[in-house]
Amino acid sequence: MPLDHRRVPGPEESQAPLLYAAPGEEEAAPGREAAALRPLLARAGLLSQAEGSAYVELSGGTKVLCAVRGPREAAEGRGRLLCEFRRAPFSSRGARPRPGPAAAARERELGLALQEALAPAVRLARYPRARLEVTALLLQDGGSALAAAISAAALALADAGVEMFDLVVGCGLCRAPGPAGAWLLQPSEAEERAAPARLTVALMPGLNQVAGLLGSGQGGPPESWARAVRLGLEGCQRLYPVLRRSLLRAAERRAAEGPRSTGSSA
Amino acid sequence: MASVVLSEAEKVYIVHGIQEDLRVDGRGCEDYRCTEVETDVVSNTSGSARVKLGHTDILVGVKAEMGTPKLEKPDEGYLEFFVDCSANATPEFEGRGGEELGTEIVNTLYRIFSNGSSIDLKSLCINPREHCWVLYVDVLLLECGGNLFDAISIAVKAALFNTRIPKVRVLEDDEGSKEIELSDDPYDCIRLNVDNVPCIITLSKIGCRHVVDATLQEEACSLASLLLSVTNRGTLTCMKKLGKGSLDPESIFEMMETGKKVGKTLHIALQKTLEKEESLGTTRQKVGFLG
Repeated sequence: MPLDHRRVPGPEESQAPLLYAAPGEEEAAPGREAAALRPLLARAGLLSQAEGSAYVELSGGTKVLCAVRGPREAAEGRGRLLCEFRRAPFSSRGARPRPGPAAAARERELGLALQEALAPAVRLARYPRARLEVTALLLQDGGSALAAAISAAALALADAGVEMFDLVVGCGLCRAPGPAGAWLLQPSEAEERAAPARLTVALMPGLNQVAGLLGSGQGGPPESWARAVRLGLEGCQRLYPVLRRSLLRAAERRAAEGPRSTGSSA
Repeated sequence: MASVVLSEAEKVYIVHGIQEDLRVDGRGCEDYRCTEVETDVVSNTSGSARVKLGHTDILVGVKAEMGTPKLEKPDEGYLEFFVDCSANATPEFEGRGGEELGTEIVNTLYRIFSNGSSIDLKSLCINPREHCWVLYVDVLLLECGGNLFDAISIAVKAALFNTRIPKVRVLEDDEGSKEIELSDDPYDCIRLNVDNVPCIITLSKIGCRHVVDATLQEEACSLASLLLSVTNRGTLTCMKKLGKGSLDPESIFEMMETGKKVGKTLHIALQKTLEKEESLGTTRQKVGFLG
Protein backbone atom coordinates (compact mmCIF):
# COMPACT_ATOMS: atom_id res chain seq x y z
CA MET A 1 0.00 0.00 0.00
CA PRO A 2 1.49 3.38 -0.92
CA LEU A 3 2.06 5.62 2.04
CA ASP A 4 -0.13 8.67 2.18
CA HIS A 5 2.23 11.53 2.99
CA ARG A 6 -0.42 14.15 3.37
CA ARG A 7 -1.85 12.43 6.39
CA VAL A 8 -0.09 12.26 9.68
CA PRO A 9 -0.89 8.91 11.18
CA GLY A 10 -1.78 9.61 14.76
CA PRO A 11 -1.39 7.08 17.51
CA GLU A 12 -4.17 4.56 17.77
CA GLU A 13 -4.86 5.53 21.33
CA SER A 14 -4.71 9.07 22.54
CA GLN A 15 -4.05 10.11 26.09
CA ALA A 16 -4.70 13.26 28.02
CA PRO A 17 -1.61 15.48 28.22
CA LEU A 18 -2.31 15.92 31.92
CA LEU A 19 -0.97 12.42 32.49
CA TYR A 20 2.48 13.64 31.59
CA ALA A 21 2.44 16.76 33.68
CA ALA A 22 5.05 16.52 36.39
CA PRO A 23 3.52 16.23 39.83
CA GLY A 24 3.50 19.45 41.76
CA GLU A 25 3.35 21.52 38.62
CA GLU A 26 -0.02 22.90 39.52
CA GLU A 27 0.03 25.70 41.96
CA ALA A 28 -1.10 24.70 45.41
CA ALA A 29 -4.51 25.98 46.38
CA PRO A 30 -4.35 28.80 48.87
CA GLY A 31 -4.96 27.71 52.41
CA ARG A 32 -8.55 27.81 53.37
CA GLU A 33 -10.75 27.36 56.35
CA ALA A 34 -11.74 23.73 56.77
CA ALA A 35 -15.37 24.46 57.60
CA ALA A 36 -15.89 27.02 54.85
CA LEU A 37 -18.82 26.23 52.58
CA ARG A 38 -18.84 27.10 48.92
CA PRO A 39 -21.63 29.46 47.90
CA LEU A 40 -24.51 27.40 46.60
CA LEU A 41 -27.16 28.30 44.07
CA ALA A 42 -30.32 26.23 44.05
CA ARG A 43 -33.34 26.62 41.84
CA ALA A 44 -36.35 24.38 41.74
CA GLY A 45 -38.99 23.88 39.09
CA LEU A 46 -37.24 24.86 35.88
CA LEU A 47 -37.89 22.01 33.49
CA SER A 48 -41.33 22.14 31.95
CA GLN A 49 -41.64 18.50 30.93
CA ALA A 50 -40.72 16.88 34.23
CA GLU A 51 -43.01 16.70 37.24
CA GLY A 52 -40.31 18.21 39.37
CA SER A 53 -36.84 19.51 38.69
CA ALA A 54 -34.00 21.31 40.35
CA TYR A 55 -30.63 22.77 39.51
CA VAL A 56 -27.81 23.08 42.02
CA GLU A 57 -24.58 24.84 41.40
CA LEU A 58 -21.64 25.16 43.73
CA SER A 59 -19.36 28.07 43.15
CA GLY A 60 -16.20 26.71 41.63
CA GLY A 61 -17.90 24.72 38.95
CA THR A 62 -20.10 21.85 40.12
CA LYS A 63 -23.37 21.95 38.20
CA VAL A 64 -26.07 19.35 38.58
CA LEU A 65 -29.46 19.22 36.91
CA CYS A 66 -32.03 16.88 38.32
CA ALA A 67 -35.47 15.81 37.11
CA VAL A 68 -38.18 13.67 38.65
CA ARG A 69 -40.70 11.78 36.60
CA GLY A 70 -43.63 10.02 38.14
CA PRO A 71 -45.34 8.64 40.02
CA ARG A 72 -45.95 6.36 37.06
CA GLU A 73 -47.79 3.12 37.12
CA ALA A 74 -45.66 0.05 37.60
CA ALA A 75 -46.49 -3.59 37.34
CA GLU A 76 -44.98 -4.57 40.63
CA GLY A 77 -46.71 -4.28 43.95
CA ARG A 78 -44.61 -1.95 45.99
CA GLY A 79 -43.65 1.63 45.27
CA ARG A 80 -40.18 1.96 43.83
CA LEU A 81 -37.68 4.75 43.66
CA LEU A 82 -35.32 4.52 40.71
CA CYS A 83 -32.32 6.78 40.59
CA GLU A 84 -29.94 7.37 37.79
CA PHE A 85 -26.78 9.39 37.86
CA ARG A 86 -25.30 10.45 34.56
CA ARG A 87 -22.19 12.39 33.83
CA ALA A 88 -22.11 14.59 30.80
CA PRO A 89 -19.26 13.40 28.55
CA PHE A 90 -17.52 16.74 29.01
CA SER A 91 -18.13 17.00 32.73
CA SER A 92 -14.71 16.12 34.00
CA ARG A 93 -11.23 17.48 33.53
CA GLY A 94 -8.86 15.95 31.05
CA ALA A 95 -9.71 13.42 28.38
CA ARG A 96 -13.26 12.61 27.51
CA PRO A 97 -14.13 9.40 29.32
CA ARG A 98 -14.47 6.44 27.04
CA PRO A 99 -17.93 4.96 27.30
CA GLY A 100 -17.71 1.38 28.40
CA PRO A 101 -18.53 -1.04 31.15
CA ALA A 102 -16.15 0.61 33.62
CA ALA A 103 -17.71 4.05 33.21
CA ALA A 104 -21.19 2.55 33.35
CA ALA A 105 -20.38 0.71 36.56
CA ARG A 106 -19.10 3.90 38.16
CA GLU A 107 -22.27 5.75 37.21
CA ARG A 108 -24.36 2.92 38.54
CA GLU A 109 -22.56 3.05 41.86
CA LEU A 110 -23.32 6.74 42.20
CA GLY A 111 -26.91 6.12 41.16
CA LEU A 112 -27.20 3.49 43.85
CA ALA A 113 -25.69 5.85 46.42
CA LEU A 114 -28.20 8.49 45.38
CA GLN A 115 -31.03 6.01 45.77
CA GLU A 116 -29.89 4.94 49.20
CA ALA A 117 -29.64 8.54 50.35
CA LEU A 118 -33.11 9.47 49.09
CA ALA A 119 -35.03 6.34 50.04
CA PRO A 120 -35.30 7.16 53.76
CA ALA A 121 -36.89 10.53 53.02
CA VAL A 122 -39.51 9.51 50.46
CA ARG A 123 -42.76 8.06 51.77
CA LEU A 124 -42.81 5.20 49.31
CA ALA A 125 -45.57 3.44 51.20
CA ARG A 126 -47.90 6.16 49.92
CA TYR A 127 -47.20 5.19 46.33
CA PRO A 128 -48.16 1.56 45.92
CA ARG A 129 -47.85 0.12 42.44
CA ALA A 130 -45.99 3.20 41.29
CA ARG A 131 -42.48 4.15 40.48
CA LEU A 132 -40.64 7.40 40.80
CA GLU A 133 -37.77 8.08 38.48
CA VAL A 134 -35.02 10.45 39.50
CA THR A 135 -32.34 11.40 37.01
CA ALA A 136 -29.39 13.52 37.98
CA LEU A 137 -27.20 14.88 35.23
CA LEU A 138 -23.81 16.17 36.18
CA LEU A 139 -22.98 18.96 33.76
CA GLN A 140 -19.67 19.93 35.26
CA ASP A 141 -17.66 18.24 37.97
CA GLY A 142 -16.02 20.76 40.22
CA GLY A 143 -15.84 18.54 43.31
CA SER A 144 -18.52 17.31 45.74
CA ALA A 145 -20.61 16.15 42.79
CA LEU A 146 -22.50 13.37 44.55
CA ALA A 147 -23.39 15.69 47.43
CA ALA A 148 -24.73 18.31 45.04
CA ALA A 149 -26.69 15.62 43.20
CA ILE A 150 -28.29 14.42 46.44
CA SER A 151 -29.40 17.95 47.35
CA ALA A 152 -30.69 18.58 43.83
CA ALA A 153 -32.56 15.27 43.70
CA ALA A 154 -34.27 15.92 47.03
CA LEU A 155 -35.27 19.39 45.86
CA ALA A 156 -36.66 17.99 42.63
CA LEU A 157 -38.66 15.35 44.51
CA ALA A 158 -40.12 18.01 46.77
CA ASP A 159 -40.82 20.19 43.75
CA ALA A 160 -42.71 17.32 42.16
CA GLY A 161 -45.00 17.22 45.15
CA VAL A 162 -43.84 13.78 46.25
CA GLU A 163 -44.66 13.11 49.89
CA MET A 164 -41.48 13.22 51.92
CA PHE A 165 -40.48 13.17 55.56
CA ASP A 166 -37.85 15.81 55.06
CA LEU A 167 -35.47 17.24 52.51
CA VAL A 168 -32.14 15.49 52.11
CA VAL A 169 -29.07 17.67 52.08
CA GLY A 170 -25.75 16.32 50.86
CA CYS A 171 -22.33 17.54 51.78
CA GLY A 172 -18.95 16.41 50.48
CA LEU A 173 -15.72 16.24 52.45
CA CYS A 174 -12.18 15.27 51.77
CA ARG A 175 -9.06 14.91 53.80
CA ALA A 176 -6.13 17.15 53.03
CA PRO A 177 -2.99 15.24 52.06
CA GLY A 178 -0.44 14.60 54.77
CA PRO A 179 -0.37 12.34 57.79
CA ALA A 180 -2.46 14.64 59.97
CA GLY A 181 -4.49 16.27 57.24
CA ALA A 182 -7.62 18.08 58.32
CA TRP A 183 -10.99 17.34 56.80
CA LEU A 184 -12.18 20.00 54.36
CA LEU A 185 -15.82 20.74 53.72
CA GLN A 186 -17.09 20.81 50.13
CA PRO A 187 -13.76 20.28 48.42
CA SER A 188 -13.02 21.53 44.95
CA GLU A 189 -12.05 19.15 42.21
CA ALA A 190 -8.31 19.75 42.70
CA GLU A 191 -8.59 19.13 46.42
CA GLU A 192 -10.57 15.96 45.81
CA ARG A 193 -8.01 14.64 43.38
CA ALA A 194 -5.17 15.11 45.83
CA ALA A 195 -7.09 13.79 48.81
CA PRO A 196 -6.24 10.44 50.41
CA ALA A 197 -9.80 10.05 51.65
CA ARG A 198 -13.21 11.28 50.56
CA LEU A 199 -16.60 11.21 52.21
CA THR A 200 -20.13 12.20 51.28
CA VAL A 201 -22.78 12.56 53.97
CA ALA A 202 -26.49 13.12 53.49
CA LEU A 203 -28.68 14.38 56.28
CA MET A 204 -32.37 14.91 56.84
CA PRO A 205 -31.92 18.09 58.87
CA GLY A 206 -35.40 18.39 60.30
CA LEU A 207 -35.32 14.90 61.78
CA ASN A 208 -31.57 14.86 62.39
CA GLN A 209 -31.20 11.48 60.72
CA VAL A 210 -28.32 10.46 58.51
CA ALA A 211 -29.77 9.32 55.21
CA GLY A 212 -26.60 8.47 53.38
CA LEU A 213 -22.96 7.88 54.03
CA LEU A 214 -20.33 6.90 51.51
CA GLY A 215 -16.65 7.34 52.02
CA SER A 216 -13.35 5.62 51.42
CA GLY A 217 -9.65 6.14 51.58
CA GLN A 218 -6.99 6.51 54.18
CA GLY A 219 -9.05 8.45 56.67
CA GLY A 220 -7.37 7.03 59.72
CA PRO A 221 -8.93 5.73 62.92
CA PRO A 222 -12.67 5.89 63.63
CA GLU A 223 -12.19 9.06 65.66
CA SER A 224 -10.97 10.90 62.57
CA TRP A 225 -13.90 9.62 60.51
CA ALA A 226 -16.29 10.60 63.29
CA ARG A 227 -14.86 14.12 63.19
CA ALA A 228 -15.47 14.18 59.45
CA VAL A 229 -19.05 12.99 59.80
CA ARG A 230 -19.74 15.62 62.46
CA LEU A 231 -18.27 18.36 60.28
CA GLY A 232 -20.29 17.15 57.30
CA LEU A 233 -23.55 17.03 59.22
CA GLU A 234 -22.95 20.53 60.47
CA GLY A 235 -22.39 21.64 56.88
CA CYS A 236 -25.67 20.02 55.84
CA GLN A 237 -27.51 21.92 58.57
CA ARG A 238 -26.06 25.15 57.27
CA LEU A 239 -27.10 24.41 53.69
CA TYR A 240 -30.65 23.50 54.66
CA PRO A 241 -32.10 27.06 54.78
CA VAL A 242 -30.77 27.83 51.30
CA LEU A 243 -32.51 24.83 49.80
CA ARG A 244 -35.74 25.53 51.65
CA ARG A 245 -35.78 29.07 50.42
CA SER A 246 -35.33 27.97 46.80
CA LEU A 247 -38.23 25.57 47.17
CA LEU A 248 -40.39 28.33 48.59
CA ARG A 249 -39.44 30.62 45.75
CA ALA A 250 -40.38 27.97 43.20
CA ALA A 251 -43.78 27.56 44.83
CA GLU A 252 -44.33 31.32 44.83
CA ARG A 253 -43.37 31.52 41.19
CA ARG A 254 -45.78 28.78 40.36
CA ALA A 255 -48.56 30.48 42.30
CA ALA A 256 -47.91 33.75 40.48
CA GLU A 257 -48.19 31.96 37.16
CA GLY A 258 -51.67 31.07 38.26
CA PRO A 259 -54.03 28.53 36.77
CA ARG A 260 -52.07 28.32 33.52
CA SER A 261 -49.59 26.13 35.29
CA THR A 262 -50.02 22.51 34.43
CA GLY A 263 -47.39 21.11 36.75
CA SER A 264 -48.34 18.94 39.66
CA SER A 265 -48.40 21.81 42.10
CA ALA A 266 -51.16 20.21 44.13
CA MET B 1 -30.47 -9.82 47.73
CA ALA B 2 -31.75 -13.04 49.01
CA SER B 3 -34.45 -12.38 51.50
CA VAL B 4 -36.86 -14.18 53.75
CA VAL B 5 -40.37 -13.16 54.65
CA LEU B 6 -41.02 -12.87 58.36
CA SER B 7 -44.27 -12.36 60.20
CA GLU B 8 -44.69 -9.45 62.61
CA ALA B 9 -44.47 -11.76 65.60
CA GLU B 10 -41.19 -13.25 64.42
CA LYS B 11 -39.75 -9.79 63.92
CA VAL B 12 -40.80 -8.68 67.38
CA TYR B 13 -39.20 -11.81 68.82
CA ILE B 14 -35.89 -11.08 67.09
CA VAL B 15 -35.89 -7.37 67.95
CA HIS B 16 -36.72 -7.95 71.62
CA GLY B 17 -34.07 -10.61 71.87
CA ILE B 18 -31.45 -8.27 70.49
CA GLN B 19 -32.50 -5.62 73.00
CA GLU B 20 -31.45 -8.14 75.66
CA ASP B 21 -28.16 -8.93 73.89
CA LEU B 22 -29.40 -12.41 73.04
CA ARG B 23 -29.91 -13.41 69.46
CA VAL B 24 -32.01 -16.19 68.02
CA ASP B 25 -29.02 -18.48 67.59
CA GLY B 26 -27.70 -17.73 71.08
CA ARG B 27 -25.01 -15.23 70.11
CA GLY B 28 -24.39 -11.85 71.66
CA CYS B 29 -24.62 -8.67 69.58
CA GLU B 30 -20.91 -8.56 68.76
CA ASP B 31 -20.31 -12.25 68.05
CA TYR B 32 -19.63 -13.78 64.68
CA ARG B 33 -21.02 -17.10 63.64
CA CYS B 34 -18.69 -20.05 63.42
CA THR B 35 -16.46 -19.43 60.43
CA GLU B 36 -14.64 -22.00 58.35
CA VAL B 37 -11.75 -20.89 56.19
CA GLU B 38 -9.93 -23.15 53.79
CA THR B 39 -7.31 -22.04 51.31
CA ASP B 40 -5.92 -23.66 48.20
CA VAL B 41 -9.14 -25.40 47.24
CA VAL B 42 -9.02 -24.97 43.46
CA SER B 43 -5.85 -26.17 41.80
CA ASN B 44 -6.19 -24.17 38.58
CA THR B 45 -5.83 -20.85 40.33
CA SER B 46 -2.87 -18.90 41.67
CA GLY B 47 -4.65 -18.71 44.98
CA SER B 48 -8.07 -19.64 46.22
CA ALA B 49 -10.09 -19.74 49.38
CA ARG B 50 -13.46 -20.88 50.54
CA VAL B 51 -15.20 -19.30 53.48
CA LYS B 52 -18.28 -20.62 55.18
CA LEU B 53 -19.88 -18.21 57.60
CA GLY B 54 -22.97 -19.85 59.01
CA HIS B 55 -25.02 -20.57 55.91
CA THR B 56 -23.10 -18.14 53.72
CA ASP B 57 -20.68 -19.92 51.47
CA ILE B 58 -18.16 -18.06 49.34
CA LEU B 59 -15.49 -19.32 46.98
CA VAL B 60 -12.80 -16.96 45.73
CA GLY B 61 -10.25 -17.73 43.06
CA VAL B 62 -7.32 -15.49 42.15
CA LYS B 63 -5.64 -15.83 38.81
CA ALA B 64 -2.50 -13.91 38.01
CA GLU B 65 -2.04 -12.89 34.42
CA MET B 66 0.40 -10.64 32.70
CA GLY B 67 -0.90 -7.35 31.38
CA THR B 68 0.12 -3.80 30.72
CA PRO B 69 0.05 -1.28 33.57
CA LYS B 70 -2.52 1.46 33.58
CA LEU B 71 -1.45 4.74 32.05
CA GLU B 72 -1.92 6.73 35.24
CA LYS B 73 0.15 4.26 37.24
CA PRO B 74 2.91 2.95 35.00
CA ASP B 75 4.83 1.23 37.81
CA GLU B 76 1.98 -0.64 39.47
CA GLY B 77 0.00 -3.77 38.80
CA TYR B 78 -3.69 -3.90 39.51
CA LEU B 79 -6.54 -6.04 40.71
CA GLU B 80 -9.74 -6.81 38.86
CA PHE B 81 -12.82 -8.05 40.67
CA PHE B 82 -15.69 -10.10 39.36
CA VAL B 83 -18.62 -11.37 41.37
CA ASP B 84 -20.77 -14.17 40.12
CA CYS B 85 -24.10 -14.55 41.84
CA SER B 86 -24.81 -18.19 41.16
CA ALA B 87 -28.45 -19.19 40.87
CA ASN B 88 -27.63 -22.00 43.28
CA ALA B 89 -27.57 -19.41 46.06
CA THR B 90 -31.11 -18.18 45.54
CA PRO B 91 -33.50 -18.50 42.65
CA GLU B 92 -33.62 -14.69 42.52
CA PHE B 93 -30.16 -14.68 40.99
CA GLU B 94 -31.32 -16.56 37.93
CA GLY B 95 -30.71 -14.82 34.63
CA ARG B 96 -29.71 -11.23 35.25
CA GLY B 97 -31.25 -11.18 38.72
CA GLY B 98 -27.98 -11.13 40.58
CA GLU B 99 -26.38 -8.46 38.46
CA GLU B 100 -27.30 -5.50 40.61
CA LEU B 101 -26.00 -7.11 43.77
CA GLY B 102 -22.92 -8.22 41.88
CA THR B 103 -22.10 -4.68 40.75
CA GLU B 104 -22.63 -3.37 44.25
CA ILE B 105 -20.20 -5.91 45.69
CA VAL B 106 -17.65 -5.28 42.95
CA ASN B 107 -17.82 -1.53 43.47
CA THR B 108 -17.36 -1.95 47.21
CA LEU B 109 -14.34 -4.18 46.67
CA TYR B 110 -12.79 -1.66 44.29
CA ARG B 111 -13.45 1.06 46.82
CA ILE B 112 -11.61 -0.88 49.51
CA PHE B 113 -8.64 -1.81 47.39
CA SER B 114 -8.31 1.47 45.53
CA ASN B 115 -6.26 3.17 48.20
CA GLY B 116 -2.56 2.50 48.02
CA SER B 117 -2.19 1.00 51.46
CA SER B 118 -4.17 -2.24 51.14
CA ILE B 119 -1.79 -4.11 48.88
CA ASP B 120 1.63 -3.17 47.63
CA LEU B 121 0.75 -2.81 43.95
CA LYS B 122 4.31 -1.81 43.09
CA SER B 123 5.43 -5.37 43.82
CA LEU B 124 3.16 -6.52 40.98
CA CYS B 125 5.07 -4.49 38.43
CA ILE B 126 7.44 -6.42 36.19
CA ASN B 127 8.82 -3.59 34.12
CA PRO B 128 7.31 -0.13 34.18
CA ARG B 129 4.97 0.91 31.38
CA GLU B 130 5.19 -2.50 29.74
CA HIS B 131 4.39 -5.47 31.90
CA CYS B 132 2.74 -6.01 35.22
CA TRP B 133 0.77 -8.69 36.98
CA VAL B 134 -2.97 -8.36 36.92
CA LEU B 135 -4.75 -10.28 39.63
CA TYR B 136 -8.20 -11.39 38.59
CA VAL B 137 -10.19 -11.96 41.74
CA ASP B 138 -13.33 -13.97 41.03
CA VAL B 139 -15.88 -14.24 43.78
CA LEU B 140 -18.50 -16.96 43.60
CA LEU B 141 -21.52 -16.88 45.86
CA LEU B 142 -22.44 -20.49 46.52
CA GLU B 143 -24.92 -19.95 49.30
CA CYS B 144 -26.40 -16.78 50.79
CA GLY B 145 -27.20 -16.87 54.46
CA GLY B 146 -26.82 -13.23 55.37
CA ASN B 147 -23.81 -11.01 55.84
CA LEU B 148 -22.41 -11.49 52.37
CA PHE B 149 -20.00 -8.58 52.45
CA ASP B 150 -18.08 -9.73 55.52
CA ALA B 151 -17.76 -13.26 54.24
CA ILE B 152 -16.56 -12.06 50.85
CA SER B 153 -13.93 -9.79 52.34
CA ILE B 154 -12.60 -12.62 54.53
CA ALA B 155 -12.50 -14.94 51.54
CA VAL B 156 -10.73 -12.37 49.36
CA LYS B 157 -8.12 -11.78 52.04
CA ALA B 158 -7.56 -15.51 52.50
CA ALA B 159 -7.29 -16.06 48.75
CA LEU B 160 -4.78 -13.23 48.36
CA PHE B 161 -2.79 -14.69 51.26
CA ASN B 162 -2.74 -17.99 49.42
CA THR B 163 -1.78 -16.44 46.08
CA ARG B 164 1.57 -17.39 44.63
CA ILE B 165 2.82 -15.49 41.64
CA PRO B 166 5.61 -17.08 39.61
CA LYS B 167 8.86 -15.18 39.66
CA VAL B 168 9.93 -13.72 36.34
CA ARG B 169 13.05 -11.95 35.23
CA VAL B 170 13.42 -9.35 32.55
CA LEU B 171 16.39 -9.97 30.29
CA GLU B 172 17.63 -7.23 28.04
CA ASP B 173 19.81 -8.03 25.05
CA ASP B 174 22.26 -5.77 23.20
CA GLU B 175 19.64 -4.29 20.94
CA GLY B 176 17.55 -3.21 23.88
CA SER B 177 14.74 -5.63 23.26
CA LYS B 178 13.40 -7.18 26.39
CA GLU B 179 12.55 -10.74 27.08
CA ILE B 180 10.73 -12.18 30.02
CA GLU B 181 12.05 -15.36 31.53
CA LEU B 182 10.07 -17.56 33.83
CA SER B 183 11.88 -19.23 36.67
CA ASP B 184 12.40 -22.98 36.21
CA ASP B 185 11.57 -23.80 39.78
CA PRO B 186 7.78 -23.94 40.23
CA TYR B 187 8.20 -23.22 43.93
CA ASP B 188 10.11 -20.03 43.20
CA CYS B 189 7.31 -17.53 43.56
CA ILE B 190 6.39 -14.30 45.25
CA ARG B 191 3.76 -13.96 47.92
CA LEU B 192 1.66 -10.94 48.63
CA ASN B 193 1.75 -9.09 51.89
CA VAL B 194 -1.84 -9.09 53.04
CA ASP B 195 -1.32 -7.56 56.48
CA ASN B 196 -2.98 -4.33 55.45
CA VAL B 197 -5.87 -5.84 53.53
CA PRO B 198 -8.98 -4.74 55.39
CA CYS B 199 -11.98 -6.83 56.30
CA ILE B 200 -15.52 -5.61 55.98
CA ILE B 201 -17.60 -5.42 59.13
CA THR B 202 -21.29 -4.84 58.49
CA LEU B 203 -23.24 -3.56 61.46
CA SER B 204 -27.00 -3.86 61.14
CA LYS B 205 -29.20 -1.56 63.13
CA ILE B 206 -32.00 -3.54 64.72
CA GLY B 207 -34.27 -1.76 67.15
CA CYS B 208 -32.00 0.60 68.99
CA ARG B 209 -28.98 -1.70 69.02
CA HIS B 210 -26.65 -2.88 66.34
CA VAL B 211 -25.42 -6.38 65.62
CA VAL B 212 -22.53 -7.78 63.62
CA ASP B 213 -22.86 -10.73 61.26
CA ALA B 214 -26.63 -10.61 60.82
CA THR B 215 -28.40 -13.71 59.55
CA LEU B 216 -31.01 -13.45 56.81
CA GLN B 217 -33.76 -13.27 59.41
CA GLU B 218 -32.01 -10.46 61.22
CA GLU B 219 -31.34 -8.62 57.97
CA ALA B 220 -35.07 -8.68 57.33
CA CYS B 221 -35.60 -6.83 60.64
CA SER B 222 -33.01 -4.19 59.89
CA LEU B 223 -33.75 -1.08 57.89
CA ALA B 224 -30.27 0.32 57.68
CA SER B 225 -26.80 -0.99 58.20
CA LEU B 226 -23.35 0.47 58.14
CA LEU B 227 -20.58 -1.18 56.20
CA LEU B 228 -17.08 -0.49 57.49
CA SER B 229 -13.80 -1.79 56.23
CA VAL B 230 -11.35 -2.13 59.08
CA THR B 231 -7.64 -2.86 58.86
CA ASN B 232 -5.73 -4.90 61.39
CA ARG B 233 -4.59 -1.72 63.11
CA GLY B 234 -8.14 -0.54 63.56
CA THR B 235 -8.20 2.20 60.94
CA LEU B 236 -11.20 2.55 58.68
CA THR B 237 -10.71 2.63 54.94
CA CYS B 238 -14.30 2.67 53.77
CA MET B 239 -17.69 3.39 55.20
CA LYS B 240 -21.04 3.14 53.54
CA LYS B 241 -24.64 3.15 54.59
CA LEU B 242 -26.69 0.29 53.18
CA GLY B 243 -30.42 -0.18 53.13
CA LYS B 244 -33.35 2.14 52.81
CA GLY B 245 -33.55 3.40 56.37
CA SER B 246 -31.70 6.23 58.03
CA LEU B 247 -29.37 6.28 61.01
CA ASP B 248 -29.07 8.51 64.01
CA PRO B 249 -25.73 10.40 64.04
CA GLU B 250 -24.87 9.19 67.55
CA SER B 251 -25.46 5.57 66.63
CA ILE B 252 -23.07 5.93 63.71
CA PHE B 253 -20.27 6.90 66.05
CA GLU B 254 -21.07 3.97 68.34
CA MET B 255 -21.12 1.62 65.36
CA MET B 256 -17.73 2.85 64.23
CA GLU B 257 -16.25 2.09 67.63
CA THR B 258 -17.81 -1.37 67.68
CA GLY B 259 -16.60 -1.97 64.14
CA LYS B 260 -13.04 -1.12 65.10
CA LYS B 261 -13.12 -3.44 68.10
CA VAL B 262 -14.72 -6.36 66.28
CA GLY B 263 -12.54 -5.83 63.23
CA LYS B 264 -9.33 -6.07 65.21
CA THR B 265 -10.31 -9.37 66.82
CA LEU B 266 -11.48 -10.73 63.47
CA HIS B 267 -8.13 -9.91 61.88
CA ILE B 268 -6.21 -11.61 64.68
CA ALA B 269 -8.36 -14.74 64.44
CA LEU B 270 -8.11 -14.86 60.65
CA GLN B 271 -4.35 -14.37 60.63
CA LYS B 272 -3.93 -17.13 63.20
CA THR B 273 -6.07 -19.53 61.16
CA LEU B 274 -4.24 -18.77 57.94
CA GLU B 275 -0.84 -19.21 59.52
CA LYS B 276 -1.87 -22.46 61.18
CA GLU B 277 -3.13 -23.83 57.91
CA GLU B 278 0.05 -22.71 56.19
CA SER B 279 2.26 -24.43 58.75
CA LEU B 280 0.56 -27.76 58.14
CA GLY B 281 1.83 -27.69 54.57
CA THR B 282 1.08 -30.74 52.50
CA THR B 283 0.07 -32.82 55.49
CA ARG B 284 -3.13 -30.82 55.72
CA GLN B 285 -6.26 -32.78 55.12
CA LYS B 286 -8.42 -31.06 52.58
CA VAL B 287 -12.04 -30.76 53.49
CA GLY B 288 -13.33 -29.29 50.24
CA PHE B 289 -16.99 -28.84 49.64
CA LEU B 290 -19.80 -30.26 51.68
CA GLY B 291 -17.14 -31.71 53.96
